[in-house]
Amino acid sequence: MIENPPIEIQNLTAGYGHSVVLEDVTMNLEHNDFLAIIGPNGGGKTTLLKAILGIIPPKSGSIKIFGKSVEEGLKHIGYVPQKGNFDNRFPITVYDVVLMGTRGGKGYRPRYSAEQRQKAVEAMEKVGIADFASTTLSELSGGQLQRALLARAMAGEPDILLLDEPTASLDPQMKDCIYDSLKRVNDQVSILIVTHDIGVVSSQVKRIACLNRKVIVHDEPLITPDMMQLGYHCPVELLAHGIPHRTLGEHDHD
Amino acid sequence: MGYHTAHWENTTMTDWGMILSIGLIQNMFYATILASVLCGIIGTYVVVKRIVFVSGGIAHATFGGVGFAYYAQSVLLVSWFDPMLGAMVFAVGAALIIGSPRISKRLREDSTIGVLWVVGMALGVLFISLTDHSAVLVRSYESILFGNVLLVSTQDLQFMMVMIVAVLALVAFFYRDLQIVTFDEIHARITGINVTFMNTLLYVLVALTCVFVMNVVGIVLVIALLTIPAAMASMFSNDLRQIMLLAIVSSLVLSLLGLVFAIEFNIPPGASIVLTIAAFFLISLGVKSLNDRGYLS
Repeated sequence: MIENPPIEIQNLTAGYGHSVVLEDVTMNLEHNDFLAIIGPNGGGKTTLLKAILGIIPPKSGSIKIFGKSVEEGLKHIGYVPQKGNFDNRFPITVYDVVLMGTRGGKGYRPRYSAEQRQKAVEAMEKVGIADFASTTLSELSGGQLQRALLARAMAGEPDILLLDEPTASLDPQMKDCIYDSLKRVNDQVSILIVTHDIGVVSSQVKRIACLNRKVIVHDEPLITPDMMQLGYHCPVELLAHGIPHRTLGEHDHD
Repeated sequence: MGYHTAHWENTTMTDWGMILSIGLIQNMFYATILASVLCGIIGTYVVVKRIVFVSGGIAHATFGGVGFAYYAQSVLLVSWFDPMLGAMVFAVGAALIIGSPRISKRLREDSTIGVLWVVGMALGVLFISLTDHSAVLVRSYESILFGNVLLVSTQDLQFMMVMIVAVLALVAFFYRDLQIVTFDEIHARITGINVTFMNTLLYVLVALTCVFVMNVVGIVLVIALLTIPAAMASMFSNDLRQIMLLAIVSSLVLSLLGLVFAIEFNIPPGASIVLTIAAFFLISLGVKSLNDRGYLS
């Protein structure tokens, strides 16, 4: 049986008002994929995420989630925002935030079930934030907050995880911890991460795409010279020093 | 100006036993209690979602409704269309307009609110000037804007009670989703919550609250009851339900105290209630700041 890919983007053009930020982007997120999208600031990474989440409508082209419309497919997605689209002073505990992740589907159920509570606890344990369950959000460090948001996304047991700069405010050990937790769920979940920090793209990802208005996808975890050219308009040699040597592959010009 | 003609004015000692036996005074206390409960709950959402300005716009739009009701009663001869109903129609209308995605797509939310705010007020002035003052008893601007709890009728109270039960039921039923929407709209959308519906629902609840609380403290001072107790409570708790409870209790105690001051010192009840609450807000700010710096522990 051939299943629809978790995310299928075809000839997507999107932007704000008259400006075009994404042009003719075609790419897929495959089953059990671990795709990192890199690219400069303003290259359209956030716009791509917004389009996938249905926050901005495409100007042309299409996005399908498991073959369905974005609207219908949203329930498959767990989203980890970069900082959170919320007021950090909102009076709420980590546990209550993570519980929110378990509210899938339509309808208005006034209470969380025991099963949902269990899932929330498990998600907090997975990302090592269980000790902070009853801590108020405003008292968390940047890294703890990011892990709380990851736990919220995981608690809903999504089929797709979208992460926006997931390790931006983390120290190196914590970055590894996050990537470890992602890797552990990767056999059930397709993962798409977005980052402007090439150094962060660890050996854990399976594929890399570079997005700067247009997209280049590479089916191996390699940053290729033409990605550098597209993304940063710099001679590759200059950037190569900042990148672990093995990630710079020879590119076949065919 | 009911409080000017109050007949205990000339006594040196306030005779509370006699005062509390007066029906209108009893109504005033009941209305204050009901308003406190309502404001504690809805005000908590207003404070944590930072929609104080939304509440301000809705509260002021009610003035148009009050004016229109007087006009309808006296000139159009629709006698059942009383000021509270008029206020409700305008408040809910304003809430629906602010919550409408069609409008928020084109206008910044606070611009919409500004327009509703002044148009509501201006319509109120216009309709009251068009009203046939010989046909209905029109409350003074001062009484509409700054409140006169002495004018709360038993019928108003019954109406308030029914609506409060409805508001509480709605909040209880939607508590979880209201929490998600007030916290993080994008996440709410992803988990399948109809964010537009929930926001509009919250605005309508704010609107209904404004209409009832208006009876106690008046349009302008509604914001005080919605904002100050919840803001005060949120300094001392990080749990939404606890904040609601704290806000209700502090609002209850302080507005009743404000009423007592009003009667004792013969000052307008609305202003007295607000100033009492505000004074305790300042005190609790000070206590909080001393506590944070470690002076009290």
